[in-house]
Amino acid sequence: MKRGLSLQAALAAYRPDAELAPVPELDDPDTLLNSYHPDHLRGSMTKLTIGPNAGADCQRELADLLQAEAFIDEADLAGAQVTDTDVLVVGGGGAGCAAALAAAERGARVLLVTKLRLGDSNTVMAEGGIQAAIEPGDTAQQHMQDTLRAGHHAGDPALVAAMVGDGPEVIRWLIHQGMQFDQTASGDLHTRRAGGMTAPRIVHCRDYTGLEMMRVLREAVKQHRGIEVWDQSPVVELLSNERGQKCVGAVLGSLTDGSMRIVRTRSVILATGGLGRLHLNGFPTSNHIGATGDGLVLAYRMGARLCELDSFQYHPTGLVHPPHLYGKLVTEGVRAAGALLLNAHGQRFVDELQPRDIVSAAIIRECREGRGIHTDTGGVGVWLDTPRLERSQPGMLQQQFPKLLARTHHVGIDPRLEPILVHPTLHYQNGGVVIDVNGATSVPGLYAAGEVAGGIHGRNRIMGNALLDIIGFGRRAGIAAAAAEHDRGPKKITLEHVNRARRDLTLAGLPLTQRAPRILPAYTAAGKDIWKP
Amino acid sequence: MEALNINLLHPQQRVGENMSRWQQAGGGTALRIATKDTAALVPTIKDADLRGLGGSGFPVWRKWEAVAKEAANPDKYLVCNGNEDEPGTFKDRLLLEETPHQIIEGALLAALACGINRIVFYINPDLTRSLAALKGALAQWQDGELLQLASNALGKPVKMELVPGSTHYIGGEETAAMEWIEGRLSAEGKFPFPRGKPPYPAQCGIYGCPTLINNIETLAHVPAIVRNGAEWFRDLGIGQGAGTKLYSLSGDVLHPGVYELPMGTTLRDLIYVHGGGLLSGKPLKAVFTGGPSNTLLTPDDLDVNMDFESLRERGGSLGTGAMIVVSEGTGMVKRVAEYARFFAHSSCGQCPPCKTGTATISRLLDRIDTGRGTAADLATLETLCRMLPGSGRCHLVNGVVHLLDSSFQHFRHEYQQALK
Amino acid sequence: MTETARDIQPVELLINGIPVRAEPQMTIVEAAWAGGVPRVTGVGCLEGVCGSCRILVRRGKEVNVALGCETFVEPGMEALFLPAPGTDRHQYQLTDLSDGWDIQARFHEIFPEASRCRHCHGCVKSCPKDISVEEGVALAAAGHYREAGEAFLECVMCELCDSACPENIAPAHVGLFSRRITAFFHLRPPNLIHKLEEIRKEQADKKEQP
Repeated sequence: MKRGLSLQAALAAYRPDAELAPVPELDDPDTLLNSYHPDHLRGSMTKLTIGPNAGADCQRELADLLQAEAFIDEADLAGAQVTDTDVLVVGGGGAGCAAALAAAERGARVLLVTKLRLGDSNTVMAEGGIQAAIEPGDTAQQHMQDTLRAGHHAGDPALVAAMVGDGPEVIRWLIHQGMQFDQTASGDLHTRRAGGMTAPRIVHCRDYTGLEMMRVLREAVKQHRGIEVWDQSPVVELLSNERGQKCVGAVLGSLTDGSMRIVRTRSVILATGGLGRLHLNGFPTSNHIGATGDGLVLAYRMGARLCELDSFQYHPTGLVHPPHLYGKLVTEGVRAAGALLLNAHGQRFVDELQPRDIVSAAIIRECREGRGIHTDTGGVGVWLDTPRLERSQPGMLQQQFPKLLARTHHVGIDPRLEPILVHPTLHYQNGGVVIDVNGATSVPGLYAAGEVAGGIHGRNRIMGNALLDIIGFGRRAGIAAAAAEHDRGPKKITLEHVNRARRDLTLAGLPLTQRAPRILPAYTAAGKDIWKP
Repeated sequence: MEALNINLLHPQQRVGENMSRWQQAGGGTALRIATKDTAALVPTIKDADLRGLGGSGFPVWRKWEAVAKEAANPDKYLVCNGNEDEPGTFKDRLLLEETPHQIIEGALLAALACGINRIVFYINPDLTRSLAALKGALAQWQDGELLQLASNALGKPVKMELVPGSTHYIGGEETAAMEWIEGRLSAEGKFPFPRGKPPYPAQCGIYGCPTLINNIETLAHVPAIVRNGAEWFRDLGIGQGAGTKLYSLSGDVLHPGVYELPMGTTLRDLIYVHGGGLLSGKPLKAVFTGGPSNTLLTPDDLDVNMDFESLRERGGSLGTGAMIVVSEGTGMVKRVAEYARFFAHSSCGQCPPCKTGTATISRLLDRIDTGRGTAADLATLETLCRMLPGSGRCHLVNGVVHLLDSSFQHFRHEYQQALK
Repeated sequence: MTETARDIQPVELLINGIPVRAEPQMTIVEAAWAGGVPRVTGVGCLEGVCGSCRILVRRGKEVNVALGCETFVEPGMEALFLPAPGTDRHQYQLTDLSDGWDIQARFHEIFPEASRCRHCHGCVKSCPKDISVEEGVALAAAGHYREAGEAFLECVMCELCDSACPENIAPAHVGLFSRRITAFFHLRPPNLIHKLEEIRKEQADKKEQP
């Protein structure tokens, strides 16, 4: 990588009122992606050798986890306390809460388990907003086309149609749960247009949309009489029937005392989110501490099909400075509101409202070709020109992006006065567990919703579709899981699927040394020897 | 047994509201003596080595001298602190019920010593019998000869008022008491929040006036000291102790109750001679002292003299003189959890580390006590014991830590046994 | 010693009672990880919005509460990760509140403590987001739910105010309740309702023409 300017030099040269040349024309987006997007890094991909996706491309570090040994044996379950419930929801983010509420609204007894605290999730950090085609002149059809196009037409049209069709009803449901959204003077929901959209379609609550959504859903779940919540209780393994072909429960570990508990259930909904904390390809991440891809590992071992395991979203505007927020996000809403990206020489280099993969690749190109800005701590990035935006609309940053200002306020950085140093950060898992419109996976009894599920966003997600996805499909999975029928006859709960995976691993000559799911990153100390007393 | 109830609780003093019987037994004499030479009062109290018996053990004359030195602004206040509310302490209520005149006389003597013209009797409203007795007694003093005598000696009218407290334990803290009294006198209804120090009450107390605040038991001692002399009083005590002390004995003993004994009586005498020993003849396990926000006493401490110095030398504290005795078979975790809950509930909220800290201690103790605690919880408690002391305006949080820390020292194994 | 060498002097502090050597500019959470402090699982977003990493922190004689992902290490500091808050005392479901006219009565049934604020400011001093918690509670107690909710816009539900409240008011939940009922009863956006109506008609038409 060619060296660019130092942070100090770039800051000294920066002028919020400098004249800007127009953006150079982007002639070939595919070449840009192939040359600079991290998904195309040499050596980053491999092919899976076992499981339902054997032969498919997969990111190397993820492949190691998908083809790893389980944590437990049957003997570890001796004496474990057994709990029965109708629906087990795994994950305490937006999708998990939506699924739990939808199932409980239909009379199911729901147990929601989360490895952190209810609400500690990526949802709570979402800033920009949620998409729903509600403006006159916008349609679900348009929303669908935008989603498919941005996803390079890899998304499943049936899933996309289901999601965009749910949009307006999802917003109504959220309001019914007590969620607030910003309004215009006349009382309409305020909408924004962001990258890859043909109409303004993002509704939001300032830049705290995820926080507002999560605290409302968290409260609704905690207050719901039909839902029980277990915090600090990661799923260590799923349980299958005696043929290893149906999911009938899960084994939960306790992060507080290391004990194991068994839950028997009619259906399990995986809402475990993404995997940013695996730091694929050495990238920083915007994700919360629990985003370690546990759901993918559990589902794959159970025999569920996955998709797009070689496609991840690197959000263009991750913070580089201050260091304690390295990798954390600046919402795309800031670009949607008009903020520009500038390289070390103060030049624009990409249309800021192109889809995220294009913008990210363009930033990486600038940095690699010596037009980036370097920090003392080894970070590199380009400017997100917030002072210029503030000059054009004084007061707008405080009005619309209070979180952006609050987050760096206590370290003495004011984005109204100095531009923000940004670089792409590992943000989202585009693919995931294959589902149908009811959130059902290819394994009976196993559902998936939210980021852990795949097939909706194709190979690139546009802003605001994640929040819509988690609520829409969370509710669909909850409804379907609640309707699942009881098994007849005595219930057998086994680790047969684990044995099958071991057989496959051994026959494929793969090592049985690495164990998964990872639960917490190793650097958290708690993640090192997680099940040792 | 001859040393029991020889002074404050002497049968002759226990006449209730009856003023004439009190006077027949020598009541009022001290006031008549003092009006002739008010300047002699502070030196006498100093010689007698009278201490603050509400728990501090602070020499009384120092507070008196500090207030006496200040100019009235325009008034000076005396607060007679009868907010008594802590678990295991029940001495002031007995004094108020049975010897109210003695207390009133003591208060007037303090007023004369310090040039105080406003006296407030600040009483826990839950002590209804004490309140009634004091109210009845005060009525007999208003417009009476003795009060007139005191006013004349002072050179301005002395006003005595009864202010029921707030029912909050924290209201017994001296600056909290002043906060509440100000609210009541002006009908503003303030919560009794402790104030920061300095300024100290002696300089700036109620309405910014110099204010003296003494415990009921402390004030009750003053008339006999003035009547009989400092030496007589000092000689009542044993060893380093001076005078007598009301010990509130409770828990697993045969005869719980209030015992007036020489200051410095041993724990063994109190429990086995006066208290009749432990129930069912069980061995002694521990004693929660003084409110119960102090370090624990154990069988090793049976022969320690229970005066302020001797207990301090052992790393303990006499506190209010409350002795909650527990025998073998008592669960220490449960007991400590119970007291911690009381203090957590009593924390006033002004200082987040105190409120959040004590509430966390209480929650973790409950968790351990009910078999849900982990080694990490115990480690957290120990860290809290190190971090919390000194983090509040008043001493409440320190008290909880004292108690908890000392229970760790002596009974750590019980906590460990209760862990998951 | 050169200037740079002095800059990278490690910062020594205690976390959960364990001595830790951290780099300057690290947060308490990062320092706990770097120092191998076990069982630090009360951590979530690492950017100050999930409210999970509640700590008690002592600097000299000064002790206060804060969020571990936003508090930076200082020499001699001591920090303790607080246990997660207990279960909620206040029970309600929005769907039980059907009539907006009796909302004040219902609020005081659900949060009877809210009108008993003793103005100790403990909640305000505890709030890592500088929210005017006490004023927010007063607004809610007076029935001004929209304004009360707005005061709690930046609330991350760390519940540090709840544990600081001597009257057990649960201010964070009062704030959230205020926000929720404002949306539940009053957020009726014409553009959304118009779209929902359009969809309803479309679907009704589809049913009529099989």
